[in-house]
Amino acid sequence: MPETVQLTRRSFIKASALAGAAAAIGASMSGSLVETDAAYADSATETKKVHTSCHGCIQVCPAYAYIENGVVTKLEGDPDAPTSKGSLCMKGLNQLHTMYSPRRILHPLKRAGERGTNDWEVISWDEAISLAADQITSTIDKYGSYSFFASVGGGGSYSFMEAMTLPMALNSPTVFEPGCAQCYLPRYAMAKFVYGANDQSIADNAVIEPFNEYTNKTEMLVLWAAQPSVSQTAESGHGMADLRARGCKTVVVDPNFSPDAVKADVWLPVRPGTDTGLLLSWFRYIFENKLYDEKFTKYWTNLPFLIDPDTKLPVEAAELFPSYVSPTPENTPAYVCYDLRTNSVQPFPFSAPDSSPVDPDIFTTQTIDGKTYKSAGQIYKEQAEPWTLEHAEEVCWVPADRIEAAVKLYTDADVAGIANGVASDMTESASQVPLGCLGLDMVMGYVNKPGCTLTQRDLSSVPTVRPVAHYNGFDGMFSDIYGVGAVVGMSPAENEARIKAFPPDRQAQYNKLLVDRLGMKEHKGLYAWCHSHIPTVREAIATGEPFKPRVWFDMSGNKLAMLGNAKSWYEVFPEVDFIIGQYPMLTSFHIEAADLVFPLREWLEEPMVNMTQQNTTWLQNECTHIGETVSHSIPAGQVLDKCEEIWGKLPGLAPGYLGDHTEADVKQGVADSLKAASWDELMANTDKYVPLVVPPKDFYQYYQHEVVVSDGLPAGFGTESRKCEPYCTLLLKMARTGYPFCYPVAQEACDDYSPICEFIEPAESPVGDSEYPLVLTSGRVPYFHHGTMRHAAFARELYPAPDVRINPATAEELGIEHMEWVKVSSRRGDISGRAYLTEGVNPGVVWMERFWNPECFDESQTHKTAGWRECNVNILTKNDAPFNEVFGSYTNRGFTVKVEKGARPDNIWIEPKEFEPFLPTLRSEPTTKDVF
Amino acid sequence: MRNCLVIDLDRCSGCDTCVVACKHENNVDLGNYWNQVVAVGPSGTFPDIEQYWIPAQCQQCENPQCVHVCPTGASYRDSKTGVVLIDKSKCIGCQYCMMACPYGVRTYNETSHVVEKCTLCPQLTANDELPACVHNCCTGARFYGDIDDPTSDAAKAIAAASADSIHHLPDPGDSKPVTVYILSPKVAAWKELV
Repeated sequence: MPETVQLTRRSFIKASALAGAAAAIGASMSGSLVETDAAYADSATETKKVHTSCHGCIQVCPAYAYIENGVVTKLEGDPDAPTSKGSLCMKGLNQLHTMYSPRRILHPLKRAGERGTNDWEVISWDEAISLAADQITSTIDKYGSYSFFASVGGGGSYSFMEAMTLPMALNSPTVFEPGCAQCYLPRYAMAKFVYGANDQSIADNAVIEPFNEYTNKTEMLVLWAAQPSVSQTAESGHGMADLRARGCKTVVVDPNFSPDAVKADVWLPVRPGTDTGLLLSWFRYIFENKLYDEKFTKYWTNLPFLIDPDTKLPVEAAELFPSYVSPTPENTPAYVCYDLRTNSVQPFPFSAPDSSPVDPDIFTTQTIDGKTYKSAGQIYKEQAEPWTLEHAEEVCWVPADRIEAAVKLYTDADVAGIANGVASDMTESASQVPLGCLGLDMVMGYVNKPGCTLTQRDLSSVPTVRPVAHYNGFDGMFSDIYGVGAVVGMSPAENEARIKAFPPDRQAQYNKLLVDRLGMKEHKGLYAWCHSHIPTVREAIATGEPFKPRVWFDMSGNKLAMLGNAKSWYEVFPEVDFIIGQYPMLTSFHIEAADLVFPLREWLEEPMVNMTQQNTTWLQNECTHIGETVSHSIPAGQVLDKCEEIWGKLPGLAPGYLGDHTEADVKQGVADSLKAASWDELMANTDKYVPLVVPPKDFYQYYQHEVVVSDGLPAGFGTESRKCEPYCTLLLKMARTGYPFCYPVAQEACDDYSPICEFIEPAESPVGDSEYPLVLTSGRVPYFHHGTMRHAAFARELYPAPDVRINPATAEELGIEHMEWVKVSSRRGDISGRAYLTEGVNPGVVWMERFWNPECFDESQTHKTAGWRECNVNILTKNDAPFNEVFGSYTNRGFTVKVEKGARPDNIWIEPKEFEPFLPTLRSEPTTKDVF
Repeated sequence: MRNCLVIDLDRCSGCDTCVVACKHENNVDLGNYWNQVVAVGPSGTFPDIEQYWIPAQCQQCENPQCVHVCPTGASYRDSKTGVVLIDKSKCIGCQYCMMACPYGVRTYNETSHVVEKCTLCPQLTANDELPACVHNCCTGARFYGDIDDPTSDAAKAIAAASADSIHHLPDPGDSKPVTVYILSPKVAAWKELV
């Protein structure tokens, strides 16, 4: 029976001091903490079943934890959860092991040997905070505030906001995350630009309408490069199973025969990186066969607007009709169209469709005073013109009849929608693919209807005034705090007045951080999440130009497993003077780079409220707590407090850091979110507050754009034209001035971004590459989320090494057999994997899961490595130009490789019994109180 | 009474969660499995292919070969519940049952030197809870209950499926496996495996 021991912070520090000698991770760090002066709790078994939520991935499914004398002994899904319905996938279940893993770090660690070795000294929190603050303050004093930088991402990292705002507090512009431009930002931002609201990402919980079981209207769903049954198995995966069982048709676009492709009505195995060609073939087919929703396209999109060939922007009515008086307010411009009623070019004011003075032609070319204007629809049509089904088959490797069958399923439905996944974010087409996916749903009128993916929820989505969209951070939070950035949908005068209300010095300081951020001039879409361009940061570290980042605070997992072309990062580690990490365990990155590591709580220990499930919000509970671990926001908060003590005043923006400094604040924040007066009240009466339910009639909202608002007009959308803008005018303005992010001060111009979907052949193309003839793409398996869970024995015994999925015909040519070890090489390096022969990939394609191997630095190994070079796809990936123009995304998918016979790396574990050193060893750890 | 699992392969996505849920619930050792998920396919030639997954565990046979060969009576079929079980106090670890089982779903515990298998989690079902693999299944594909009781989840799942979707694993030795797999021809053609 496990003993329950309550330790105070003081007793722990005392224990830590006793334990203080250097030790190696791999064997547990906790064994030395046996003697304390804490009182033993009653040792009789006490079993509790408590509400919590799994944080094994970002969907955060509701769950129950069973706790015996402080030890979590069982996890199961919560049957009351509306989409996951009691499911809990193995990423969640395996926390039973990883929570008590010998790999946990329970105390702050200071490097005791050279970087690259696994030798650490346990130090007290006071010493750790002082060390970090001393390094940061002394480096900034010597080299300036731009010498500090932060990063986050990689799985099991919740510090997105913290990483974004920590540099702000220290007056540095530099922060990055291996996801961001390569994960979700492009889809998130493009939807804001085009639709003024939430996007089509299914993994990121933007798409939940298909799983709405109250109205239940989705007839057809396109999964464009998403595999919810793998990535978010218990929630979206369960939702997909229910949706298909209800008879919803599905089309899956994926080079790999994923479980969702297996179940699809039509599978389109697109050549990696050529999705834009496929999208354009859909546009062409829909235009050619007049399958679009004519009324919606005419009156709710900007496609009928005539475009000025010089500016590429829609012509405003006053430009061609100087005496025209617009009937709409200044925040709602009137444009110009070719009117089919009068057969002439006419002003096209915003109105309800039935009140419009014009019947606009979507596809038209007009010459006025010797100048030729095309409608945006005509421009799109001409862009799509070459993309016959046959041309798409040739370029994208998908049979024409399959494409046609897919488009017909999509267009024949009364209600359908596209839900997209991460793949396109990891290509040069990162902005163009979401542009195309949004544009298709818009010309089909699959917008704001029951059953569409493009729907917005909650009463807050029902406008009472002209909708606007805020930029700079989520919902424009930094614009609201610091007064930088225009609100799209406000008139120029309204924006000017708004921005004048902010203190100019703070505005100037924030603006300088914006324009000084690395890579911003070329890739202004990164402003949406205030992140730097990763390859430009690496270049700055390597060269010191335009400034040299020297002190690094990383807030999550294994950067070497997650960053593209990981070796190029490893090479610049010596250029970074001091590296701080934080995580519940040590990863390759910590072994190779970190000088100081703060121990974080696992999700079973950390109170949080995160993603909702449909109309319900749930609690992630503090089920237990061991060691001196802290919640994710706390180390940076404490370090900033110490910096402020040293300096007297922080050099950066105020409020700057947005993260709790103490566990009490973390807990109060959770209580507030669940509408409980206090954490104690929430704990005492959890069932009263969890879940927090929005009544379905308030939650599920549709047709918001048709609601008449305060100016007497239908609300429309939060874009400049108040319409859906599949011809994305904002991208043109952004490239030229940084608008709407850089406002009121314009940013330097770069080349225009394409306002519509365009085809880009991948820079490394299998077409004509004789040295590296295969194209590699990657994707998830259900066992892991990002860099997590490679130390979960029950996952690794089932999936010990990454499969290299390869077509049997290709394997035969290469003399490779099923489950044989192979070497996969790109122009950047080579790795090992096991060939998995399957008809589920095109003969020209190989597919592989990202990987890293924590067993490589296990104590039992004679040949220790940091475990990131052996099987890690990011040894192969491409982080140099060409980048996606808007977001600077580099190429994690759709680059070329060759595959040869290989060998098992000697320190990789394969056999189930080999994973025994990963089994839990910390169940007898005493439960402990909050450190801060 | 014939308690068993009914598994809807139209829903199953092969995620292996049932395997791990079982291992945590029943403390199954590394390398041992009371259930496993087998990918059937992809069959055909790219891109004209199909696939499904078979989660395989004790089929709760009415005429269990494992019971017939057990020299000590440790393997038995509970006449009341229809569940095939092992009385570990009688098991001598001879593993004859493992050789006799046509489905390879028994496993030898090297620590306690006895054979183990799916028990349908009586520790849970006795309290009206579901077996761990059913409770946590990520696609709602698993149903537990007495297929002779029309009100059970298992019987209802069978009743809702069309006749051409109902399958059992092949039964060359007349074991009479009770476990039912549902697979519609439109998802994939059932393959006679084992």
